[in-house]
Formats: sequence, C-alpha cells, structure tokens
Amino acid sequence: MDIDDILREVDPTFHAIPQEKRDLQELTRAWIAERSAPELLPWPANSLFERINGNIKRQIEKVEDMTGDMDPKTNFALIVIQTELERHRYLVRSYLRARLAKIDRHTLHYLSTDALRARLSDVELAYATRHQALLHNHYLSSFLSSFPANLQNLNDAAAGISMIETPDLESAVFIRALRDTPVEGRGVDTDEATEMRESDIVILRWADAKPLVEAGSAELV
Amino acid sequence: MPMYGDQGNKLVQHAKRTQNLAHLPPYQTELVRAVTREVRDLDKDVASLLEPFQGSFDPSADQATACTLLVNHLSMRRNKRCLLAYHRTRTDKLEELIWSGSDVLDLAGQQAGGANGGAPAADSGASSSLSPQEEDYFRQYGDLLAAYKGQWTDIDLTGSLEPPRDLFIDVRVLKDAGEIQTEYGAINLTKNSQFYVRQGDVERLIAQGYLQKLG
Repeated sequence: MDIDDILREVDPTFHAIPQEKRDLQELTRAWIAERSAPELLPWPANSLFERINGNIKRQIEKVEDMTGDMDPKTNFALIVIQTELERHRYLVRSYLRARLAKIDRHTLHYLSTDALRARLSDVELAYATRHQALLHNHYLSSFLSSFPANLQNLNDAAAGISMIETPDLESAVFIRALRDTPVEGRGVDTDEATEMRESDIVILRWADAKPLVEAGSAELV
Repeated sequence: MPMYGDQGNKLVQHAKRTQNLAHLPPYQTELVRAVTREVRDLDKDVASLLEPFQGSFDPSADQATACTLLVNHLSMRRNKRCLLAYHRTRTDKLEELIWSGSDVLDLAGQQAGGANGGAPAADSGASSSLSPQEEDYFRQYGDLLAAYKGQWTDIDLTGSLEPPRDLFIDVRVLKDAGEIQTEYGAINLTKNSQFYVRQGDVERLIAQGYLQKLG
C-alpha cells in the first residue's frame, strides 16, 4: 500500500480496476487500520468479506483444477497462484485475529451499547456474547455464586469507577493525510494545530485522529 | 497477624507468576475458597453491624462504625477483584492453549512432563492442574472457537500469524508423525528426516511440535 493506491483512487480510470483487486486493496487497508487502531473499527459493511471469501474459493478451485497438470508452465502458474492465495489467507486471518483480540480484551465494553455492537459482524457478535456468557458462568461456578448477592455483578460502577475496562483512546497512532486538512492534536503540555498536506504523516492521539480517519481525510498507517 | 486482603494478594501474585509461565500452575482451590470465605464473613460483619440501626444508620453520628463499614466494604470489593483477576489470567492462558491447538488430554500430559523436568511438584502427578470448572470452560471455549472457525472454511484461523514468505519451506522432523498426504503425494515423516514441503500442509504439525522449520 503506498501513495500510488491513493492516487489511483482519485483517477477517473479507477473503475477499470477489476473488483478483485479493489477488494484486496480494501482488505489491506482495513487490515492495516485495524492493527494500528487501539479500539475496534467497524466491520466493513459492503459485503467485502463475502466477495473475498468467494475470491479465495475460486482460487482454491483453480489450484485444484490445475494440480493434475504436469506441464511446467502450468506448474509455475500454480506456484504463483498458491503463493498469492497463502498471502490472501494470511491477510484475512491476521485481520480477523486482530479484531478478535480486541473483542476478547474488552468484551463487555463492546457489548454494552448498540452503537458499539454495530461494529461487530454477526459472527463476532455471537462469539463475543457466548464468550462472555462462558466467562461469567465460569466465575459463578468458581467463586461468584457464593458471594453476597449485591457483589455478584460484573458491571458495577461503584465510587465512579466502572468495572468494565475500555480501550485507551488516548494512545498514539500514525496517520497519513489523504488530502490537505487541518489537524489539531492535544499534547501533554500544550495543544497544537497544524495544516497537514496530502501524504504527510503525523503521530497523534487516536481520539484526535479518529474524526479525520472517519471523514476519509486521513488513513492509519 | 493476617490482615484483610492478604489472601487476595497471594492470589494476585499467583496470577502474576502465571503470566510468565509456559504451562498452567495448579489451581489454588484452598486460596480461592479462603478469599471467598473472607468476603462472606465480611458481609456478615456488615450485616450485624448495621442490624441495631434498623436501616436508619447515620454515618456522621457514628464515625467509628462508618469507618469499619467502609473498610469492610472496600476489602470485599478488593477480594472480588483479586479473584476475578486470578481467574481471568488463567482463562486467558487456557484460551491461548486452545488457539495453539491443545486439548484437555494434551494438557494433562504436558503437566506431567513439566513436573518431571521442573521443581519437585507438590501436587500428585495424576491430578490435573485445572479446576473442574476450568476443564468445563476449556471444553466449552474449544467448542465456541470451533464454531467461530467453522464460519471461515477456507481460512485456518489458528494458522501462523507470521506473514508467509515462501510457499515451500524446509522442515526437520522432531517426532515421528506418520504419513501425511500432500498434493504431491504422500510423505512419511520419520524422526530426523528433512523435507522440502508446502508450508500450508505442515503448519499444524509445526505448531504441535512435530516439525521444526529450518532457515
């Protein structure tokens, strides 16, 4: 992923790029962003993963078709396709695992409001709900059930401190500007505002970077 | 003299130690029970302290009692946190083991192996280091993970998180693993032999320690 990808996107010939390639670019972007962001990002809405799964399936079929063929040329093509397939699979795997790690870490947080739940895919939501139920059950059968009733909750907010941990939105991320845009960052001692030019890279708090990323003015790197 | 929270503290220390261990140390059944008992005792104390007031307790009128109540209250919550932390650390570890492909039987075997090599184990070799509840949890999480993975039939989610560099890799066989089928025919994996194979075919065997990746 580099600046060429971004330029290509504003290029009028962009739509000449085959769907598969755009899907891969989108997946790569989502993967980079997910791994950099301290909190869970929304699940891609435009059925990206249905298409990606379809692409992978087609490639697997192709590999199977080509396997019996002993022609050296086919053999070479086969190796190229298989290598690509492995990389594609790695991207998906790494992406899903990065999300799952975040969900596992702050399960109750992501299940707490509808807005947060909407970031999870259906499968992830089912997983998170079930995982939390398992954990709760485990706590209950291990010790919690013999506690006094008023101490059995897992979501108390006594003395203003909630039991539910949330991701640290103030941690630092690197973003690259996709177009010229003003940026404001809060520092430890002073706050700073500056103009970002296209393809500039800055480091700032995720909480400050988030609106820019969501507006499409910048992307995580 | 033992104080409130001493037992809880021990649990946290166990949890802290567990984080850096490759295996799971034995479940502290006694300690967990003691901390839970402390919570119940404290709760009873609170109830008996408040009893004479019949629900009309005024903290500013009786500051000594108010202080006792506060300390009891905080101690109970602290114990709860300690217990939660201890159990969560262990379940995290269990989940890690499941992701890397162990099952309950593996775990028991691994414990026995660890006990032979490591410090003299106080627990009897036969008993598992998991509590019965943890064994249940282990099984249930395994099912949950299998269900989640089932949604992604073409991608092995438990596969390596290292970016793939080469399609084919050199591996050495550390333990006899029998015959495996690949699309290039069958390979017989006997100990100390070396093969050039497709990474995707042997990933599980590497994770399980049958094969070692070379270079």
